[in-house]
Amino acid sequence: MLWGIDLGSRNVKIAVMREDESFSFYKFDTIGFYKKFGRMKDGQLTVDFTNLGLDREVRAINEKFAGDLSGPAYGINAPAKVVATGYGRQTVKLKGAENIVEIKAHVLGANFQTGLKDFTLLDLGGQDSKVVLVKGGRMADFQTNDKCAASTGRYLENMAAVLEIDLKELSRHRLDPVELTATCAIFGETELIGKIVEGYSISSLAAGVNYSIFKRLKPMLSKLLSQALVFTGGVAYNLAIREILKEELGVKVLVPDYPEFNGAIGCCIFGCRNV
Amino acid sequence: MPKVGITTTIPVEVVYAAGWQPVDLNNSFIASSNPRLLVEEAEMAGYPRNICAWIKGIYSTVRKDEQIKTLIAVTQGDCSNTHALMETLQLTGINVIPFAYPYDRDYDMLKLQIEKLMEAFGVNWQQVYEARQKLNKVREKVRKLDEMTWRSNLVSGWDNHFYQVCCSDFNGNPEEFNKRVEDFLKGSNETAPKQEKIRLGYIGVPPICDDLYAYLEERGARVVYNETQRQFTMPDSVGDFVEQYRKYTYPYGIFYRLADIEREIERRNIDGIIHYAQSFCFRQIEDLIIRERLSLPVLTLEGDMPNSLDARTRMRVDAYLEMLR
Repeated sequence: MLWGIDLGSRNVKIAVMREDESFSFYKFDTIGFYKKFGRMKDGQLTVDFTNLGLDREVRAINEKFAGDLSGPAYGINAPAKVVATGYGRQTVKLKGAENIVEIKAHVLGANFQTGLKDFTLLDLGGQDSKVVLVKGGRMADFQTNDKCAASTGRYLENMAAVLEIDLKELSRHRLDPVELTATCAIFGETELIGKIVEGYSISSLAAGVNYSIFKRLKPMLSKLLSQALVFTGGVAYNLAIREILKEELGVKVLVPDYPEFNGAIGCCIFGCRNV
Repeated sequence: MPKVGITTTIPVEVVYAAGWQPVDLNNSFIASSNPRLLVEEAEMAGYPRNICAWIKGIYSTVRKDEQIKTLIAVTQGDCSNTHALMETLQLTGINVIPFAYPYDRDYDMLKLQIEKLMEAFGVNWQQVYEARQKLNKVREKVRKLDEMTWRSNLVSGWDNHFYQVCCSDFNGNPEEFNKRVEDFLKGSNETAPKQEKIRLGYIGVPPICDDLYAYLEERGARVVYNETQRQFTMPDSVGDFVEQYRKYTYPYGIFYRLADIEREIERRNIDGIIHYAQSFCFRQIEDLIIRERLSLPVLTLEGDMPNSLDARTRMRVDAYLEMLR
């Protein structure tokens, strides 16, 4: 049994891969994960794998994604091999795991999930935006957000909270967007509040939030665009952003079955190929 | 020996000919015990947050060093923020001597600038040439060190950076610095060649974070070319003094710099280029020209405050090295 762990800024994602290439997926809140299961020892993060309680967690996940994920996870104890990646890779080194470069994990995951070898990968996570040009299955060039996280999931969460709607509702709107121009995500909230006062509909406001994500990504995407755009990360669940990407870029947009677990899947794929 | 602060490399021979001691304020700032504090102090004085940290660090360095009463400020060819830097320092009673590198590398304009500098320090051409002769002996050794970096692989990227960057002011004491270089060369000759598989070029201003070179080497990549730092050693130090500073690429246009960069990429067998740009610097715009002109993979890094590499930058460096492998 092979475990791929993506230590993200918002969530820790675990993909468990069986020998027949079937998967089970688990998701933990990052802070809760570290508090409950992690402990620093000699500068490395030691995770109590046996007490993760994946049997219990899987139920909660399945409920959240309405049966989207394969399961149930039976007989999971300590993993035979762990490959880890993610933002936490730099700050926290997972003990007993092979740690791989985040962008590599995402490229491997996208390649496995879509079967494509030539594509542009757009991964929008909790605090990261990554655009990677992949040619012949290999990373050819990449760009990431640097100083600012205003094009990521965390921004969407904050804006949805201001609008008092959930992420699912936010993702329904793309028509007639209000124009949001603030560079800073926090000032963006103030700007949005101003628009609420001006009387714009929730639909227009939500569309404006979704469109502002695209505007921030546009320079990165236009530099590394190819015929197929593979869209991953938690933000890929946002239907409006998928549509905006299709319309604005005029390319095929593919969202794999498990966009949020793409990095964790990539870790498993790396693990299989490097046994 | 009176001290004079310099905001970047200037014809330092003039200063030594006059018996003054030049202090490269960038080096003093970054090598100080707490560079971040110097940046904060400039912000307390009223410098905006969204201005390059080097300028702020230089401002506080001059304010703190009571021996620096005179400043040579490069007003063209380096950084336009220097204009306000020198004005804010003038306000505190510092005597400022402006120096401008002409954008088009015009010989007569550059000669005039050098002559004005000579006049300010009261020296003649003969004294300047004599000073150059002494400095060239040190430069020659540092150029040897550079060659040992890329040709015989005996020198690390950091040492290559450090010794070359010191050639802007020779640490204020060319004799002592010369001795230090000699000792280093001797030690390096006795070490085994380095084995890193990936050979990198570093272009742009020197980094504000000091652990980049070591981080790369831990991951099997070594910087074998430091563009700007190498220029500080005047690699084309030919007969005519004005010509020496015309051939010095850093203060002139990007296309002139690129010709030098392309030549060195070829000569040093480089696999990839790291283009470093300081946050809020106009040189960040030039990145698009560099990416278009260079045919090998370019990683653009942006540094803001003096510290070690942040997690995001490390992630990007890792991905870049993975791509080159």
